[in-house]
Amino acid sequence: MSKEILDPQNWVDLYADMMYRFSLVRVKDPEAADELVQATFFAALKSQHTFAGKSSEKTWLFGILKHKIMDYFRSSKKHISIDPTSSEETDRIQFDSSGHMNPKPTNWNMDPEKAAENSELAKVLASCLEGLPDKFHKLFVMKEIEGMSSEKICNEFDIKPTNLWVILHRARNQLKQCMESNWLNTK
Amino acid sequence: MFDGMMKILKMTCKDIYPLISESQDHPLPFCDRTRLKMHLAICGLCEIYNKQLDIICKMAQSLGKEDAKVREDTSMKPEVKEKIKKWIAEKN
Repeated sequence: MSKEILDPQNWVDLYADMMYRFSLVRVKDPEAADELVQATFFAALKSQHTFAGKSSEKTWLFGILKHKIMDYFRSSKKHISIDPTSSEETDRIQFDSSGHMNPKPTNWNMDPEKAAENSELAKVLASCLEGLPDKFHKLFVMKEIEGMSSEKICNEFDIKPTNLWVILHRARNQLKQCMESNWLNTK
Repeated sequence: MFDGMMKILKMTCKDIYPLISESQDHPLPFCDRTRLKMHLAICGLCEIYNKQLDIICKMAQSLGKEDAKVREDTSMKPEVKEKIKKWIAEKN
């Protein structure tokens, strides 16, 4: 296999948008996403000599970006807990007197394994994600998008397992409801 | 034994639905797992909810991929790109 080489002159044209979108889905804030991409290129330029050519240029750059994103999450670390006075953090799912969900969940009629292929629904999920309260967004991203274990999230971000679990549960419910009202009801 | 069975069968959706989300995060203890399984087998609404969360989870994973196709129209501002290009050319 031929050895990969770096071509910094073309980095922006080839990868900037891809890296920007990758960051934006994780950090929500466009300015922060800009800075992450810039910081990645900056670090990459400085450490070009460490590139062994075993992976592709793209994989190498994304590896640096992933580190930068984790640093960003760590730097905004503060104690995370549920705020009982905040209406946006309450559980949105309601139940009737017999204990059934009200309104009833709608059947989305799709195979979960194939859901990712539905680009229209993916767009709705992306904008629903942006609408989550910050701490919900951050923990959901770490758990579902980064695939971190609950244990690691609790240790790194100083959060109690019960709080993590309640936040993830409410985040999922908000996403579910947002998707139902923005996509499925318009069908 | 009978009381235990009745307790399982009498679980309402309200009692069960937090377990659905929890089961996505870690394997549930045997007792909760059994309760959830039995409830899902008889309750169509919770089964739908279970599937919805599964869809959200799978889609979120794909949104986070490097070459995710979603929002391909979203791009970095041209002026930011130009700025980066300029200093790469200078420093390289």
